[in-house]
Amino acid sequence: MPEYKRRERLMGNQFEFTIVVDAPNHAPALLDLAVQEIARIEALLTTYAPTSQTNLINQQAGLQPVAVDAELFQLIQRANTISRITNGAFDLSYGSIDKRLWNFDTQMDALPDLATAKKMVRLIDYRNIVLDEANQTVFLKHKGMRIGFGGIGKGYAAACAKNVLIKAGVQNGIVNASGDLCTWGYQENGQAWTIGIAHPDDRNKAFSGMHISGLAVATSGNYEKFAMIAGKKYSHTIDPKTGLPIQGTKSVTVIANNAELADALTTPIAVMGIKAGLALVEQLPNVACIIIDDCNQMYTSSNIKCA
Amino acid sequence: MALCKLIASFSQSATDSSHYQSRKLSIDEINLVSSYYQQNGNNSAVTGGIGTEKLNDISNNLDIRLFMFDRKKRKNIFDVEIGIDHYTSASSDKIDLKANSSASYADTRIYPSVNWSREHEQKGTTIGAGLSFSNEFDYQSKGINLLFAKKTADKNGEFTAKLQAYLDQVSLVTPTELRSGGGFGEHEDYGTANRNTFAASLSYTQIINTRLQVAFLADLIQQNGYLGLPFHRVYFTDGSVHQENLPDSRLKIPLGFRANYFAGDRLIIRSYYRFYTDNWGISAHTADLELPVKINPFFSISPFYRFTHQKGTRYFAPYEVHKATETYYTSNYDLSSFNSHFMGAGFRWSPVKGVFGIAHLQSMELRYGHYNRSTGLQSNIVSLNLRYK
Repeated sequence: MPEYKRRERLMGNQFEFTIVVDAPNHAPALLDLAVQEIARIEALLTTYAPTSQTNLINQQAGLQPVAVDAELFQLIQRANTISRITNGAFDLSYGSIDKRLWNFDTQMDALPDLATAKKMVRLIDYRNIVLDEANQTVFLKHKGMRIGFGGIGKGYAAACAKNVLIKAGVQNGIVNASGDLCTWGYQENGQAWTIGIAHPDDRNKAFSGMHISGLAVATSGNYEKFAMIAGKKYSHTIDPKTGLPIQGTKSVTVIANNAELADALTTPIAVMGIKAGLALVEQLPNVACIIIDDCNQMYTSSNIKCA
Repeated sequence: MALCKLIASFSQSATDSSHYQSRKLSIDEINLVSSYYQQNGNNSAVTGGIGTEKLNDISNNLDIRLFMFDRKKRKNIFDVEIGIDHYTSASSDKIDLKANSSASYADTRIYPSVNWSREHEQKGTTIGAGLSFSNEFDYQSKGINLLFAKKTADKNGEFTAKLQAYLDQVSLVTPTELRSGGGFGEHEDYGTANRNTFAASLSYTQIINTRLQVAFLADLIQQNGYLGLPFHRVYFTDGSVHQENLPDSRLKIPLGFRANYFAGDRLIIRSYYRFYTDNWGISAHTADLELPVKINPFFSISPFYRFTHQKGTRYFAPYEVHKATETYYTSNYDLSSFNSHFMGAGFRWSPVKGVFGIAHLQSMELRYGHYNRSTGLQSNIVSLNLRYK
């Protein structure tokens, strides 16, 4: 069966859809379905359009609960579960960071003092995202609090596009949301998909790979984006607990059954660090992870073997 | 930065300064994540039903194998194999008609080989090379091979070219009555002759769809040197006995076509056709059909049938038909005209816990075949194949 591909810029990211179907006439329409699904999710989750449900929740922060679609409600519910199991290293209200106090970028040559840093993240706390299941409402307890789906939205969108394609009868494919991807079925030659793991120093190069099907892979990494402060490398990711940029890990790759879960786990594992991150993954069924530290040393969960 | 330090391990690193502590998750927490995400991206599972089902198995049952690229993103595969097999043969006994002491002849063959190949995934190319050695009582072989393969742009087709050279030595184990002198010892010092074989093999495989795969095979084989077998006798019309004598050069061209069709999970249809011709005047057609049927995940049966029609070499004549005036002569029926039928079945058994509960014994295959050739040869062949891991 031949392979069909489409690239499209969606949700601020490059998406690539690959399907292997025996229906040359229908392939473009099938790919359209996937693109439409991502566009639909983008409309739901974006913080750029003032009328999105996400923005309505943010606008009513500290004021009143907002009724939302079941889909969005459940996504927030799942995100909060990830927050719970990661001790808050993952947090949907990460967008509440106060960038007026200190805005981390790669040109930085000094860290903020601990008190300032702490103050920056004072509004980040997933426990203040109040979910009312009976009324299907979301309420952010404090004024100025904001939620965003940067750490989970791409994976969720990839999983949704995959489901739409499967429902439309596509038995083989990959949805790749700039490196957060999910696979199902087989390549056109009947083999499992070959997925490369990006080199921590160059995201366009792979240092290793694997053959998988039915699994999702997500990677988050510094790549070239880090700052040297007092001889130490810092990532652009801020620990929501301390307000300080994290250090130690260069890239985290998570492999799971579901693209949303894989996407959602990469950042908190980087924040939690190698030991606590791996300890978490070892306890989760059907989740595997590869961490590369600052010295390019690789650490993997025990379900990964090097061939 | 070099990635030579990349090694897999699962241990604490001193480099992360995280204040997060490892924490044991409660069963409820694990349940919750599983119930949300277990069902492989099915949105209905993502619809948030809180985990009511009991999670019995919290083991990590993913199993990922990572392969490493070298700096140029190529996959290296290095194989070293040593094969040893031991065969017994009734016919070998007849070399020494007068010294037929054992019930049957037994010999051990040792054939180490070293093969290396490298795959460039992006370009879809593979290059490889190998060396092999084989040593039998009366036959030594040194082989070298080079391989190049390239996939088509859509990766559904692959072209492979292989060049092989074998430099062999045949011990001239002469039928006893033709030996000079009176050496009756079993391993006296026989003379040797060289036999060189150069082969170019071209193949093209194409995946038509997930069920059908086809392959086209073409070989060009040139052999030089001593190409007969020293212990083959030829009796002339006058009753005199001679060693077979064949030209010292032979060009063989087999052309083949193979198609495999996967008819569902239980049945595979394997078919094969080959046309063969050589410059000794032999031409042959062979058709082969094999139907492996999976009875259950651990047991399969493969019935097979092979038909061959061969027009024999001009150098062949039966017993006491060759004349003393001929330059080349053989009475080896393998080189004669015939039709042959070969049919039988293989029984493959590969239980999860290993054959007879022996964990390392992965599978056992018993093959039985009945061979019937119009020249009067009938044989039954039983082979047992054990795969040890």
